[in-house]
Amino acid sequence: MDKPSRHATSMIDPSLLARVVKGDQQAFSQLYDHSSTLLFTLAVRILGNRDEAAELLQDVYLEVWRKVSRYDVGRGTPVAWLVTLTKSRAIDRLRARAARGYRTTSSLEAGTAAQVSDPGPSPFETQADQELRIAVGAAVAGLPQAQQQAIELAYYEGLSHAEIAARLNQPLGTVKTRIKLGMSKLRDGLQQWWTHGELQ
Amino acid sequence: MTHEELEESVPLYAAGALDRIERQALEAHLLSGCASCHSALKDYQSVAALLPVGLSPTSPPRSLKATIMAGRNPAPIPAEAASKEPARPSLEPGEWMNHLFPPVAPARSLSLPWALGLATLLIVAVGGYLVWNFTAQRSVDTSNIQQLEASLQEKSTTLAGMHREVDDQAKALAELRNEMQQRTNEAAEAKEQLALREAELEETRVQLSQQGGARPVGTPQDELATLLRIPNVKTVSLTGSDMAKRAAGFLLYDSRTQKVWLYSVNLPECPAGTTYQLWAIHDKPMSIGIFQMDRGETAHLLVKKLPSFTDAKTFAVSLEPSGGRLQPTGPIYLLSRS
Repeated sequence: MDKPSRHATSMIDPSLLARVVKGDQQAFSQLYDHSSTLLFTLAVRILGNRDEAAELLQDVYLEVWRKVSRYDVGRGTPVAWLVTLTKSRAIDRLRARAARGYRTTSSLEAGTAAQVSDPGPSPFETQADQELRIAVGAAVAGLPQAQQQAIELAYYEGLSHAEIAARLNQPLGTVKTRIKLGMSKLRDGLQQWWTHGELQ
Repeated sequence: MTHEELEESVPLYAAGALDRIERQALEAHLLSGCASCHSALKDYQSVAALLPVGLSPTSPPRSLKATIMAGRNPAPIPAEAASKEPARPSLEPGEWMNHLFPPVAPARSLSLPWALGLATLLIVAVGGYLVWNFTAQRSVDTSNIQQLEASLQEKSTTLAGMHREVDDQAKALAELRNEMQQRTNEAAEAKEQLALREAELEETRVQLSQQGGARPVGTPQDELATLLRIPNVKTVSLTGSDMAKRAAGFLLYDSRTQKVWLYSVNLPECPAGTTYQLWAIHDKPMSIGIFQMDRGETAHLLVKKLPSFTDAKTFAVSLEPSGGRLQPTGPIYLLSRS
């Protein structure tokens, strides 16, 4: 088996997707190696369950394999595309589960603390990945708690601002403002990562 | 919504915090080609895509890659995927990117685009089935047509064979008919020859009896019977006039021997110094011969040579002075019905 995470997630070249479009098996294998840890991490964060996250990833990669030709580089990086797809499908599952009467097993409460408290290097991460992970973690941790919480409820649980307001018992306008401000700060803090071309 | 409101909703959109109506409004605005909103969205989408990078990494199970690599061809859609789809609209960021990347199962919402998608899928499926069905039916039909054509070809060959047989039999029948006609002709000829020979024999016999008298002479009835057996003899019947109402006669002409035979009955006895004279009348009467009716005689047979018989229209027997006349002068006793 390939070394799964010795590849820079942040450096996925769009040409790799172009090769996958042509049915290149090796390119697809590389794409998996580049992205699977990030996507699995995201899926576990949303679903709170490794088995379900693995199942989700299986669906996501099969969808990527079938529909990779629809990827439009003009609308975002390959990583952004994969993350968006994974998050979307994971939220869908989360909602389906909620609709069937399951209690949401969100790990939200421990989420932020965990990622901030565990910024140590992984033996499978590239240097670039590690630096980026620390930068993002720091940017998120640098947000006021209320903004961070509102963004994460939207991002990892799929709640609308109205639902977040209801959940937190806060005025709708306040929640909107928190999210806007938080996102704006993250953009300002992380913009160097893509304006400098390091995040492709 | 104003443009300002729309632009302010971009970071919420990227974070996935907009409700469905707001999301659709912004997407419609983005599709209209607003450059500033596009630019803002690209930045916020990048931020959103980076958020999970900040999480503590969790490696997927080692077996997952093999499962995924093995599952691509053919690419299956897990049966439970549909049931795990959400019961309400997705609100997370990334719908914008998902325009070109719709969900596997259409259960995200019952909005019009998905309904249209479902309808399209159904139409394609039904269309596919119909095409498959039509193709299958057409192949069956083609096969049937080929069988029918082969059968038709076979029948045509058989029919052609039967035609040939009928033709052959018709030819054979025509040949048989010709042969039969030939045989009939031959038989008629033979019969004719036989009659001729009999007539010649009879004549010879008469001549012999006249010359030697040793042999008995054949009766007129015998001669007449012989003559009647000869084919192509022309017959003319004569009836008695007022002079001899009971009298009758008939006249035979044999064209081959150019002989005229007159057989008369019940003519009165010729008074002394008179004789009966037979006439062939065409433009004018022509004497054929004279004969006598003696006392007690009821029938008489006259045989004479006559070069041409066909010209004569009428025949008559008159009573003339002995030795006959060149033109009839006496009363008519027998007359043909011309």
